[in-house]
Amino acid sequence: MNRFTVIAVAIAMNLPALAAAAAAPEPGGLEVSYSGIETPKGVIMVALFNSEASYTSGQPVRAVMIPVAKADAATTIKGLPAGRYAIKSFHDLDGNGKMNTNPFGMPTEPFAFSNNARGAAGPAKWSDAVFDVAATGTKISITIK
Amino acid sequence: MTFQIDRRGFVASSFAAGAVMLSPDQVLAGAAPPAWVLGVADVEADIAEAPMLRVQGRAPSGLAGTLYRNGPAKFRRLGGSADHWFDGDGLVRKMRIGGGNASLAARFVDTPKRRLESTLNAMVMPGFGTPLRKGATLSSADDGNPANTALLMSGSELLALWEAGSPMRLDPETLATRGFKTFGDDLAHMPFLAHPRVQPDGTVWNLGSGGGSQCVVWKLRADGGLAKAEVIKLPRPSYFHDFTATARHIIIVLQPWLQEEMTFPISTGMAWRPERGTQILVLEKDDLTKRRVFELPAFSAFHYGDAWEERDGTIRFDGALEADPTFGQRGATALLRGEYLRSPRPMLTQIVLRPNGTADLLPARISAEFPTIDKRLAGLPRRFTTHVTHYRSLPFPHGIGQWDWQRGRDDSFNFGASQLVEEFVFAANGAGEADGWLIGTTLNLKARATELHVFDARNVSAGPLVTWRAAMPLPLTFHGIFVGA
Repeated sequence: MNRFTVIAVAIAMNLPALAAAAAAPEPGGLEVSYSGIETPKGVIMVALFNSEASYTSGQPVRAVMIPVAKADAATTIKGLPAGRYAIKSFHDLDGNGKMNTNPFGMPTEPFAFSNNARGAAGPAKWSDAVFDVAATGTKISITIK
Repeated sequence: MTFQIDRRGFVASSFAAGAVMLSPDQVLAGAAPPAWVLGVADVEADIAEAPMLRVQGRAPSGLAGTLYRNGPAKFRRLGGSADHWFDGDGLVRKMRIGGGNASLAARFVDTPKRRLESTLNAMVMPGFGTPLRKGATLSSADDGNPANTALLMSGSELLALWEAGSPMRLDPETLATRGFKTFGDDLAHMPFLAHPRVQPDGTVWNLGSGGGSQCVVWKLRADGGLAKAEVIKLPRPSYFHDFTATARHIIIVLQPWLQEEMTFPISTGMAWRPERGTQILVLEKDDLTKRRVFELPAFSAFHYGDAWEERDGTIRFDGALEADPTFGQRGATALLRGEYLRSPRPMLTQIVLRPNGTADLLPARISAEFPTIDKRLAGLPRRFTTHVTHYRSLPFPHGIGQWDWQRGRDDSFNFGASQLVEEFVFAANGAGEADGWLIGTTLNLKARATELHVFDARNVSAGPLVTWRAAMPLPLTFHGIFVGA
């Protein structure tokens, strides 16, 4: 059982450092709301992907930073073509722009995927996290923990 | 949520009411399960505090306190069951002794694993011998943490311990679950073994395996606060459930049961390589970079007694040594099927590490497991080791003993074939080593009830001074602590 941790390291989400790519929230388009926030501080880093290849390689089509001041938070990503998308996100509690890990590489900050998908022993699969964005706009909600 | 009901899960749940699990072959043959399966039965709900019935003897005056014990007590669910004794949900028992009476309460640790599996009505989280199944969500090791192995009083908190994840905080009075213990924001989900070594001054040392050759060494202050968490590299990726310590040293036995693959269940990635022998790593507590490695022939073990150092630098400690890890690999899986797979007996053996770099094994030539000591002497020279013994032809022991390393004899008591004996712990009532009581539990198969016993540690063979009986049988526990009133 003492190797449990190592295998669980594979769970780390392989998120890119998002700070450089983060942009201010925009109105309209895909509305993303977060709930379940336990610590109302820092920011939620949101990475939006438009293909399985980009999702797997960690190259987002958009990256958004949502300031967190209470138990929920939201943003709207405008100008998205209709299509299939998925989100990887984490709660950057200390604002250092990266997902913190313990000395063995396990994430120590809350994270979530679209559809509230969870990986069994690794990141959630694209097929579990993917959702449709309509031309008229789409709302999704995510619980982050 | 849908899930597949496999044939085995169905068979398991069908017999859950009888608190046994039969293999399909046994079902077809109509064979009765062995009586000892009561030791690995399921408990369905928490147990409110109720008096235990005194059935023999009289409680010694002056004995007051609480025996806490932990062990797995829920293995089987309709949609899938645990495949290994080590993977059931932790049920913490609280036996309060005082005024000549005793009471029992028990409460499951309210882990994320138990919550998810209750919802799914399936054991889906992976473990030592249980695979990852559909419906599992594993964000960290703590999502699979059954908190089922041991307990530690840390400051005002009672911690339920596993080995691959965080301690779980419990209220020592109500046994209510308060959440995982985190020793720092950057140390969440770090592994914390179920066998912390507590110095007489209350300082706690512990390890956690990070897989491969990584290991964290924990040092906690007597008040439970973190003093140090230092990551070190081990010579080999051995499986270790326990370690030991002298006043100045951390001692890690690196058995040749090696994690060669990272897979679930954990034990399927571990290979027994006896040709590589057993290594013993000795670290200095004050400077973990100072290390020595001793070589011994291959042996396997789960548990060790506390170690001590002699004037010339010789280090001694004992352990329950097995010729190979058959029990952990396969025997503990067979138990849940109601089958006894013969495995090498654990044998009490002293390990001697000499200043010249050589090492020896001194066998006591008695079967023994769950070694415990007078904790006032943790890390210091001592004479006695308390242990369970008398295994007969069943997978569980029937007796307890107090081995005297000075005289080379065992003062033991055999409860008989109808009693399965659990670990006993020491509670002092005088200044000298063995001036105290041995307190522990058995599962009486004939009475179908758990029993609580108190022995005089100076005269174990005289039998229990007092025995109380609970209203129900509870499955066997692994480890416990006695907290004096």
